[in-house]
Amino acid sequence: MLGTLIQKELRAIILSPKFTATFAVCSVLLLLSVFIGIREYKQTVAQHETAVHLADQRIQEISSWHGMRDKTYRKPDPLQILVSGLTYDIGRWSSIDSRSTVKLTNSAFSDDPIFAVFRFVDFAFIVQIVFSLFAILFTFDAVNGERENGTLRLVFSNAVPRAKYIIGKCIGSWLGLVVPICIPIVLSLLMINLFAVPMTTGDWGRVALLVALSLLYVTLFVVMGVFVSSLTKRSSVSFLLSLVVWVLLVLVIPRGGVLAAGQLASVPRLAEIEGLRDGHAKNLWSQYHKEMEERFLARYDAGEERDDDDMWAEMKFEDSARKDVQIQIEAYEARLMEDWDRRKATQQRLALTLSRFSPAAAYQLAAQTLAGTDLSLKSRNEEAMRTYRKEFNQYVDKSQAEGGNVGGIQISIGGEEGMKITSSRDNAGLDIDDRPRYTPPQQQLAAVIQPAVTDFGLLAFGTILLFAGAFVSFLRYDLR
Amino acid sequence: MINTESNNGQPRLQAVDLSKRYEDGVLALDSINFSVYPGQVFAMLGGNGAGKTTAINLFLNLIEPTSGEALIQGISSHREPLKAKANVAFVSENVMLYPNFTAMQNLEFFVRLGGKTECGTDELRAVLRRVGLPDEVHHKRLKGYSKGMRQKCGIAIAILKDAPAILLDEPTSGLDPKAGFDFIRLLESLRDEGKAILMSTHDIFRAREVADVVAIMNNGRIIMQENASALAGKDLEQVYMQYMAGHDLEVAV
Repeated sequence: MLGTLIQKELRAIILSPKFTATFAVCSVLLLLSVFIGIREYKQTVAQHETAVHLADQRIQEISSWHGMRDKTYRKPDPLQILVSGLTYDIGRWSSIDSRSTVKLTNSAFSDDPIFAVFRFVDFAFIVQIVFSLFAILFTFDAVNGERENGTLRLVFSNAVPRAKYIIGKCIGSWLGLVVPICIPIVLSLLMINLFAVPMTTGDWGRVALLVALSLLYVTLFVVMGVFVSSLTKRSSVSFLLSLVVWVLLVLVIPRGGVLAAGQLASVPRLAEIEGLRDGHAKNLWSQYHKEMEERFLARYDAGEERDDDDMWAEMKFEDSARKDVQIQIEAYEARLMEDWDRRKATQQRLALTLSRFSPAAAYQLAAQTLAGTDLSLKSRNEEAMRTYRKEFNQYVDKSQAEGGNVGGIQISIGGEEGMKITSSRDNAGLDIDDRPRYTPPQQQLAAVIQPAVTDFGLLAFGTILLFAGAFVSFLRYDLR
Repeated sequence: MINTESNNGQPRLQAVDLSKRYEDGVLALDSINFSVYPGQVFAMLGGNGAGKTTAINLFLNLIEPTSGEALIQGISSHREPLKAKANVAFVSENVMLYPNFTAMQNLEFFVRLGGKTECGTDELRAVLRRVGLPDEVHHKRLKGYSKGMRQKCGIAIAILKDAPAILLDEPTSGLDPKAGFDFIRLLESLRDEGKAILMSTHDIFRAREVADVVAIMNNGRIIMQENASALAGKDLEQVYMQYMAGHDLEVAV
């Protein structure tokens, strides 16, 4: 009985014009988006390799430890082909030296702002928007359409249990949508393979999970369509209702959640933080200069005799005091940033929690997590860069202490030679072959599953809840 | 009430004090009683809102009775709907079926739904021919069918179910005279096979032509029930109008 109902549902969908239309649109959209994604990825990889090579050349040319600095570049991830996420929004490189902190700058969108206006239509976007819309178009009249056609009465003139009918509806509609979706998905994955995108086993595992997640998301909307259809008698009403619910779930709630979180948990702007830091730094430097001036005047008033050793000791003292001020400023900035990070994290958590009331947001977050293009993309890369910065600075300090080449220029005046200016540039290049190298962060399969579990669970829970709704609603449905 | 129990065997369709009051308070059926025996066509005549379709819906358990029972082969369609409905076939007023399916695909689905697991193509084709659908349309999608052709397809589904009782809701509504005539011949052949047929209709002439028992309904009540033999020589239209006028008068008083 159930098999007959499912088979009928599937056949009815396959024979309908909407199946052909869906199949055509899904195929064109998916294949085109993956093709563009692969091209974009390959270009990004080429740019990344060139940039890394140039950075390597630059560091080889540096002739003094004092001016030693490096540049690290965020490595492209092949899964950005399917889920671009924040890939193009966050910066691609950071300077690595003792003075500046790690900060990813220069995003792809800052180079080509036009792409920010018309963002990439990737696999995740197609699933999130197009497939969910198709799921509703497939199912908005699943039950009431049959009622309007009079087939519902005819079906239930037979010994058909209502439970089996509604289960058959859901499974049949699901299969009817999954077939036109899965064929282009498989072709897209074959395309990725064909274009020799370097995918590891872990990457394929993440792709498999992404496909499973997408099917779960589509299932939710299929069941929702059946549910709405079993709530109303007229298909025109259920179409309108489904569309309103879709707009709320896919477009309004995710953005509304973020806006509400912004109001509920306010975070000062970065400019305010910078203002506080600069104010504090200004005060400390004023105090420092005042102390140094007083110290100089005290020595001057005392009329002390000073030899070279005294001068060096004085310079060392000033240098040490300056470093202390610098440390205090950095500590204050760190405290400010820590507080800002904490408040920002609270706001972010709240925004994500509120947004997750929308299955579209849950899907988007899980898809980005699986692809590694989520919110943690920036922090993950910056963390790896910070680790490298620490190693790099330690290496430079150590090498500087051992080699003694501090760089800069040296002016000497002698009786026979007159004035002589020498520069570290006159020296041969530094031996930096044993320098530490930047290792981009690697994402293991297990590491991405854990944060995605919540969203998987939410989607599964939503699907079960909607199915229960459709089931109960149909048990009470007026079949006449 | 006229005694119609001259037929042999137990009634295949039976309404026992069957009443239905809808949620809005409308009393659609008011304690009606009738029986349909094997080899009998029972025609329910009446205007819109008389309660004919409500009675059929109660037999199909599409709605629940307020009181009384609708029995199919002695099984309560309300208490044991699946068991009861296994013994009845149904043809509705507008047989839409699935427009993107061919006649064969529609038949295949409904036959399997009716509980027949094995039904060959030849058998399906034979039934389609029997109801008057030629071979060349068997594999055409139903969206290209006329109303009469769809009605024939619906009858084919009912025949294939091979149930002892058949319910027909306004089956000749909208059919052209030729299709109506063919339909009546088909009903006669089914009656001759021993099927118990309950038919709701507006069509007095078709009812007179094929019915063994005629019941006139108004405001949820059976106001007249006669055997065809008792109506022989009478103008059924006039009888219908008289009864309707009398009942309306009664209600007005």
